[in-house]
Amino acid sequence: MRRFVLKRIGSIAITLWLLATIVFVFVNVLPGDIGRKVLGPTAQPADVAAFNARLGTDRPLIEQYVTSMRRVFTLDFGESFQTGGPVTDLVLPALGRSAKLAILAFVITIPISIAAGIYAARRQDRLADRVTVNIGLASTSVPEFVTASVLLAVFAVQLQLGKVYANVPEGTSFLGQLDYLLLPALAMVVSYFGYIARMTRAGVIGALHADYTRTATMKGMDPGQVMRRHVLRNALAPTITVISVQIGYLFGGIVGVEKVFNYPGLGTMMLNAVGKKDIPVLQASVLIVGIIYMLSTLLADLVIAYLNPRVRLEAGR
Amino acid sequence: MNWSVINRVRRRSGALENEVIDHYVAGKITRREFIRRGSVLGLGMTSLGAIVAACGDSAGDDTGGSATTTGDGTATTAAAAGSIQQGGTLRIAAQRPGSPLDPVAMDNIGSYTPVVLAFEYLCGPDGFSLVPMLAESWSPNDDGSVWTFNIRQGVKWHQGGELTAADVVASLDRLAGANLSSYIDPGSAVAVDDHTVEVTLKNPDGQFPYQLSPYNPQALITPADYELGTLFDQKPNGTSAFKLESYDVATGAKYVRFDDYWDGPPNLDGLELLFSDDNATQINGLLGGQADAIIQFGVSDAEAIFASDAVTVDAIRGAGHRQIWFNVREGTFAGENGAKIREAVALGIDRQALVDTVLQGRGDIGNDHPIAPAYEYFDASQPQRERDIDRAKALLEEAGAAGLALTMHAPELQEIALLAEVVQSQLTEIGLNITLNVESTSTFYEKWCKVYDSTNPPGGCDGGEEFGIVDYGNRATPDRYLVAAYATGEWNSAHYNSEEFNAAVAAYQATVTLEDRKEAIKPVQEIANRDIPYVIPYFYNTLTAYAKNVTGVVHTGLGHYYVNKGGFTA
Repeated sequence: MRRFVLKRIGSIAITLWLLATIVFVFVNVLPGDIGRKVLGPTAQPADVAAFNARLGTDRPLIEQYVTSMRRVFTLDFGESFQTGGPVTDLVLPALGRSAKLAILAFVITIPISIAAGIYAARRQDRLADRVTVNIGLASTSVPEFVTASVLLAVFAVQLQLGKVYANVPEGTSFLGQLDYLLLPALAMVVSYFGYIARMTRAGVIGALHADYTRTATMKGMDPGQVMRRHVLRNALAPTITVISVQIGYLFGGIVGVEKVFNYPGLGTMMLNAVGKKDIPVLQASVLIVGIIYMLSTLLADLVIAYLNPRVRLEAGR
Repeated sequence: MNWSVINRVRRRSGALENEVIDHYVAGKITRREFIRRGSVLGLGMTSLGAIVAACGDSAGDDTGGSATTTGDGTATTAAAAGSIQQGGTLRIAAQRPGSPLDPVAMDNIGSYTPVVLAFEYLCGPDGFSLVPMLAESWSPNDDGSVWTFNIRQGVKWHQGGELTAADVVASLDRLAGANLSSYIDPGSAVAVDDHTVEVTLKNPDGQFPYQLSPYNPQALITPADYELGTLFDQKPNGTSAFKLESYDVATGAKYVRFDDYWDGPPNLDGLELLFSDDNATQINGLLGGQADAIIQFGVSDAEAIFASDAVTVDAIRGAGHRQIWFNVREGTFAGENGAKIREAVALGIDRQALVDTVLQGRGDIGNDHPIAPAYEYFDASQPQRERDIDRAKALLEEAGAAGLALTMHAPELQEIALLAEVVQSQLTEIGLNITLNVESTSTFYEKWCKVYDSTNPPGGCDGGEEFGIVDYGNRATPDRYLVAAYATGEWNSAHYNSEEFNAAVAAYQATVTLEDRKEAIKPVQEIANRDIPYVIPYFYNTLTAYAKNVTGVVHTGLGHYYVNKGGFTA
């Protein structure tokens, strides 16, 4: 198990280096002079040149690359081109906000969708199963930003339930925060419900038809115990993998929902950073999302390995 | 006519001021023009009111009422005395700053707003007129080449200390190297005493105080210890009625009332800016009750706001416009045939239909020059270019360009994407086959102009695409458009280079009296209209909105929101 974890951490470090390199290459492929982009069309040429010199963006690419990698591995991302302030002052609060929204979305999505998946699987091919499957398919096929826009127009604007600006002011109580976060979280719940529910359903149906389940039932085990010990333990492995992949996505990929609700999370920050060629912010945001993605995948692997000894043995080899 | 009053004001005024007084007394200009011109030259409301009364008129009619007024330059809501409640925080939906908050180098409305809420100008806005702000009064010499500003005494900085002439001189010196470089040099502003500043211009200019007002947003008076590159959020200070408490580009900014404000403490406890990137969020924020006001919005997203009974919409009739540019130096639109294609495009669009459909009637039609009808010296006698499909088709035939395929570039900003679609559709009728390339603003400006300091004649803007639509904001004078877009400026995406036109602009800029300016603007309008480096389809009204219980707001359409006398109705 220890060897398994060490191997995974090693591969995470290599992946992060590759990610940082890809970000560096991409932002340098984007057209335009950084100083001009940041200072705007009216800035004097001398000011633009001084700006580029101060940031080092006029130096050879290889030199910029070395500086950039040094920053990545010392976690010192420098100053934002857009605000002039430290990158961490922008990225860490955005990470906190994304985490808050993602956790709320998960707290709602996971129990509902797993319960719906199990419920449907136990009633396979009956009306309840078909309704659950079709609702799941429909909700997954609607893009998040469409769901978010409808929720915003109906609830936040028309009915004035929930907020258009989802950012929670400082000092807001726990219940008060729900007023701000519930609508964007629901937009995410609608999108992920179907996916997780269907994965759970498929896993449970497979496990329900497996030999070990039949044996456990035949030897007279209590149906509840069969479900907990044999069915769910085996059926949830793919669901856990799906959920872990969604964690990384929820932190960085929900730009649509964040934009609609003007939520200043990591997704919006990355989008703005691309537009403004704010390389330090972009680099820090992408790396953080990458780290979260990889850590959540590692966590999923560990949980699956814990649940299934075969995985543990194969991974350790 | 009370001549003794008129003569008394004349005796204490200079040559330029007396000329304006004489014109009004002789009936050559209206009361509205008199107040506007007089205010720019530094005639105070007392003198203006005395002259108007001496001529048997009333000055008060122009300065507000009990309800919303809509007018040129700025809009104001004035509340009846005693109807404003004390306290409350005004939540304003604003564009997210697009660049660092450098008072001198800021270049977009999102960056203007947080800065201009804290700092002030020498001259304040009142329609296209000016009123005293940090300067209590000002006056020119006889030819408008030297201007003297009397700085208000007892103005406190948010961080302590009093405003002096040294702060004003330091601010103007910083601007001399940037935004005001075509007007003054470093050292042109001199402190005569602690509260008097004399500014010597490179060339006489009868409209110079506009450059020290909100119509030149960067001309803020900042403390003497500010340097080029000092960012407002890192060193917050100011003289306004509200001081910065917190700023976060991701979310917004908070301001608290400044009790030592020179014009008395404001009614409101504070202001809160809510940042977002698009109009739709701002409008939804206002309609959803999370914001009390929007700094500025475009017509395209605003049907719900126009339909709402809960908000007041103000339209400022100004000079903001859109330019359809052609590269007249090389390529499709250059030379004799290029000129025919340009004229065909100008004749192919239906301007009134554009105002009616794209702006929903909220604008003036353009005539392919940047002099807006809202300017007092606009020459209305020039024939308006009307749609003529047959003539446009004939011109394209002559140029061998029938069925020509073009790509039109445009930014995804306010109503511009819709304008591009309607123009595309209208030009199909004359046989042009136009493909649209609408992109985010940050990507678009590469298409408009890649290089801003090119040495290729006429210099400035270079390397952009040959055809597209670009945005220009509201200005109290057209100088910025004329110099930056038509002459050798950094926004000349048409690469237009006409000695005749440059001479006409120089002659216009040298005028100091309104009569001279009215004459000098005629050739400027005519040449631009004849050469068509840009088609200017319309001048749009700048729109702002606020909840019905908000009153006493003065705004300019350039990111300013003055609410020191305003607040929530009781």
